[in-house]
Amino acid sequence: MVSLTIDDVKIEVPEGTTVLQAARMSGVEIPTLCDYPHLTPYGGCRLCVVEVEGARLLQPSCTLPVSKGMVVHTNTARVREARKFVLTLLFSERNHFCMYCQVSGGDCELQNAAYEQDMTHWPFQPNWDPYLVDASHQHLVLDHNRCILCRRCVRACGELVGNFTLGVKDRGPESIIIADLDVPWGESTCVSCGTCVQVCPTGAIIDRRSAYLGHEADVERTRSVCIGCSVGCGVELITRDNRLLRIDGDWDAPVNEGILCQIGRFLALDDERERIVTPLVRRNGTLKAATWEDALDYVAGRLKPLAGKKGDGIAALASTRLPVESLYLFKQLFADKLNSEMVTSIEEGVTTALSGKVAQELGRPFEGSLERLKSADCVVAIGVDLAENHQVAGFFVKRALPNGTKLVVIDPYDNQLHELAHYALQPQAGTDYELLLGLMSAIVKSGLSRDEPTNLSELAGYDPQVVSQVTGISADTIRAVARLIASSQRPVFVYGKGVTRASSPEVLSALIELARLVGALTPDQSAIIGTKGQANSLAAYMYGLDKPFEVDGHQAVYLALGDDEPSRRLIKRLKGAPFIAVQASYLSPATEMADVVLPVEMWAEQDGYYLNLAGKLQKAHRALVPPQEVRSNVGVLKALAARLGVELEADWRKSLKKRAPINPVVE
Amino acid sequence: MSLLQEHVLLRHRDIPNIRDIHVYTAHGGYDALRKALNEMQPGEVTDVVKASGLRGRGGAGFPAGVKWSFIPKDVKPVYIVVNADESEPGTFKDRELIEGNPHQVLEGIALCAYAVGAEAAYIYGRGEFRGPFRGLQQAIDQAYEQGFLGENILGTDFSLDVYTHLGAGAYICGEETALLSSLEGKLGQPRNRPPFPAQVGLYGKPTVVNNVETLTNVPPIVRHGAEWYRQFGTEKSTGTKIFCLSGHVVRPGNYELPLGTPLRYLIEECGGGVPGGRKVKAILPAGASAPILPGDKLDLPLDYESVQAAGSMLGSASFIVMDETVDMVWAASKMVHFFKHESCGKCSPCREGTYWMEDVYHRLRDGHARPDDVDLLLSIADQMDGNCFCLLGEFSLSPVRSSIRHFREEYEMRVKRMGIGD
Ligand SMILES: Cc1cc2nc3c(=O)[nH]c(=O)nc-3n(C[C@H](O)[C@H](O)[C@H](O)COP(=O)(O)O)c2cc1C
Ligand code: SF4
Ligand code: SF4
Ligand code: SF4
Ligand code: FES
Repeated sequence: MVSLTIDDVKIEVPEGTTVLQAARMSGVEIPTLCDYPHLTPYGGCRLCVVEVEGARLLQPSCTLPVSKGMVVHTNTARVREARKFVLTLLFSERNHFCMYCQVSGGDCELQNAAYEQDMTHWPFQPNWDPYLVDASHQHLVLDHNRCILCRRCVRACGELVGNFTLGVKDRGPESIIIADLDVPWGESTCVSCGTCVQVCPTGAIIDRRSAYLGHEADVERTRSVCIGCSVGCGVELITRDNRLLRIDGDWDAPVNEGILCQIGRFLALDDERERIVTPLVRRNGTLKAATWEDALDYVAGRLKPLAGKKGDGIAALASTRLPVESLYLFKQLFADKLNSEMVTSIEEGVTTALSGKVAQELGRPFEGSLERLKSADCVVAIGVDLAENHQVAGFFVKRALPNGTKLVVIDPYDNQLHELAHYALQPQAGTDYELLLGLMSAIVKSGLSRDEPTNLSELAGYDPQVVSQVTGISADTIRAVARLIASSQRPVFVYGKGVTRASSPEVLSALIELARLVGALTPDQSAIIGTKGQANSLAAYMYGLDKPFEVDGHQAVYLALGDDEPSRRLIKRLKGAPFIAVQASYLSPATEMADVVLPVEMWAEQDGYYLNLAGKLQKAHRALVPPQEVRSNVGVLKALAARLGVELEADWRKSLKKRAPINPVVE
Repeated sequence: MSLLQEHVLLRHRDIPNIRDIHVYTAHGGYDALRKALNEMQPGEVTDVVKASGLRGRGGAGFPAGVKWSFIPKDVKPVYIVVNADESEPGTFKDRELIEGNPHQVLEGIALCAYAVGAEAAYIYGRGEFRGPFRGLQQAIDQAYEQGFLGENILGTDFSLDVYTHLGAGAYICGEETALLSSLEGKLGQPRNRPPFPAQVGLYGKPTVVNNVETLTNVPPIVRHGAEWYRQFGTEKSTGTKIFCLSGHVVRPGNYELPLGTPLRYLIEECGGGVPGGRKVKAILPAGASAPILPGDKLDLPLDYESVQAAGSMLGSASFIVMDETVDMVWAASKMVHFFKHESCGKCSPCREGTYWMEDVYHRLRDGHARPDDVDLLLSIADQMDGNCFCLLGEFSLSPVRSSIRHFREEYEMRVKRMGIGD
């Protein structure tokens, strides 16, 4: 600990703290512009200068580490004068006619800083040169006239997202933020994660949709969890007058620490599906508005006689985007109470069933937390394209690459991470197993294994030379990759659908064995991460909603779709079902086939829990009030249960942990 | 014309074709390296350099041996980075060393590497050095062939690889941390210090950054000893230094002189005085970066302390002489333009401060100056002072302040001649 004095207050802070951080800890506010808590200190704008006793010059507090006995003054006349000078320069640098700017009046860090320094004008001529506005991007606009060259966007794109799209062209006052080698932003390598818009302090980067729709003071922020995939990023929903304006990454969320991908940030806002606002019942061939009483009675009337029937009873399917609470009630109602044998999720366990089977065989969880990715020095991604789905996990990998983290991608098919990988292995389709055993055999032979192989005799048949014949990957490459993985200190293995889609668990088991061999799976820790499908795929597995769906003579289908979109495959298989009830938020091909449609809340309208791919349980909060006639998913299932005369238990937590877990569940 | 019996650094002027390794070795070349590898511990090499009093020739004048001793012993790898960016206006000494006496540069690098335990050295040259670096590469290849570089140098277990790299033409990339970023393939902008390169340098590893001339001093120091070296120069500014002389002199060029030689000697004896017998009006002792010295300072001894006491800096010792025909407002504006053009743009005071200073100079030039413009210049300079991220921004204040200090009446005249531009 280091003790120092800031504005006459003595404090103790850990070594390595910056003066700015120390000031904040002691409640002293120092104005900043280029600094951002989640980015490496930069020291560019010079707004944060302070006076340090004994130092001749003013010091930038954001980059200055504390030292013992330091005496700091953050608000002397000299400091204030220097700040005004910096602000004067920044205001006169480009067009800052604030009245035309969307962040003006509270949301602009430049303007706020000027008000704090009691600035009413600036003594230099403003620069009248017009700068370009790049409006080529689908979601974002970059107005160079408002840019203060703080490079937060550049640093965020590189340091947090690992995308390195943004950069700076030219030098000095001619500096301009560019995308790639100065191409229109919309044509660049940008992946539309929107991290840059979230860190820009001025109106230079704005988001097309929410611009001019409300200042921070006019909007509400609600903590929630993104349900775009099974990473489970923390988000903040920004709403005004019951309208969703924008989605920000939650900087305090442990899973993603502020970053999001395009899906999480923009997809929900681009939803153009038509909302269902009243229950619908099919009469004379067409769906007509009905009361809840009628609709529920109708469904209950059709289901009741089918209770307990096998084969020709009820088939029930739930979306893996539903909150845990709803999944639990769904499972109880259809599997436990109505005793149907065909109760599953619309994902049918493709991302979980196989892993579950392996976990069962092992008798313990074998996957670890996403955190491991952040400190990995070698990542092996197999059967998963992290640039396509689970992108935030992909960002963790990409941003680690400049620090020396090695990447091995194993995927017979096109994979966007291939081009970033140190080794992009494209084995012949269906030969992943041989490749993995080849790697293990090479590791064992090189003497680099950290654990005893359990399948030593089997490995004998998988010499790299032999394996190269089958996989099409050279023996040298296999040996080199084996050495790379085995000699790294913190290897992490990520697998996806390419592995879990298989009919037998042999590839996954081989992967687990490989991980164990290199010390990535110990009795108390695992560095294996399996991407799942949607936000609650893992919860659906835990409740046993993971078997293949077959409609075969079932008299009724109950589809708890929530705000999900049914796949074409599912629709095809629903055809011919004598009775279909759909519990959904939006019109879709599924509701078109339905006999009854029960309108329910969508994601942003409900409170609920989600279990992410690594077993972390997170709560999403309600940010929007649903249309009047729309009910909660939980409410509908309960009402239906009441009509069917069964009682449902509400405590979902206990039974969430009953099944052999793939992951330890972390609350 | 020289005060020295023979050159210590510019030896190619005494020995023709010394850039060839055989000529170099025939004249004692690589003896210092042999001596160090066979007879000295690495730490002893550092100690000799410390004792010699050798100071960095890149500008800051920091004692070289002290810098080497900051390299931690327990972190590997360690890198040597040789600063051959040489972009200061009026500076052309490193180029002559690289072209004329490259093996002495390489031997200095090897000695430094041995002293600090480095196995790789990078020579970073300004973008325009394509030609000189071709010759340098030949010298490197020769040194490899003869076993002075590469694996197991001179049969010992000391190994060193030397790489060359050319920048893309930015003055800022001479600043050591910007140079490191550029060398790593990043945008050439300075980094925070601390941590200093000796702790966290190239690719995050301990790194010695030294100027070409600095390292060229090392072989004679190791070969002849610290005492021998200290016979040149003054107590605190030891050794010889290459003075780059340009501007209004009859014989511009590089002159190697003991530190402490009077300025008059440099201009009159070496440079042959001002053409046409005109008077010296002002001198820039360190290119554009250090305050202007007025023409009456001709008796100033040219060592680090004396020049500083006279209100300027010796820096890289690039002397630009201006005679009485020079308009000092114009001269200052040229330098401000240079800094504006070369500002990297990372920090706001330098990026925009230089812009606004140049704007005021444009007004002075065009006859639009306002009565308070001279004070405005001074106030911008005061505000920038000490608040720029790196020294480039601070350098830009020197020509402004010093030209106003010594030649304010020329500014006032511009202000009075309202409406009359150049
Ligand atoms: C803007 C700026 C430009 C510089 N340019 C050079 C240069 O061209 N060559 C050089 O050797 N040092 C240059 N320096 C000094 C270097 O930062 C560094 O101090 C020097 O390379 C250290 O070597 P030395 O101790 O041997 O002098 C420059 C410094 C600044 C601030
Ligand atoms: S949206 Fe994301 S990828 Fe695109 S420029 Fe911004 S930070 Fe980079
Ligand atoms: S666009 Fe925004 S974040 Fe990026 S440099 Fe400009 S002001 Fe800073
Ligand atoms: S003073 Fe600032 S803008 Fe100027 S060169 Fe240094 S870091 Fe760049
Ligand atoms: S906030 Fe410290 S320099 Fe910008």
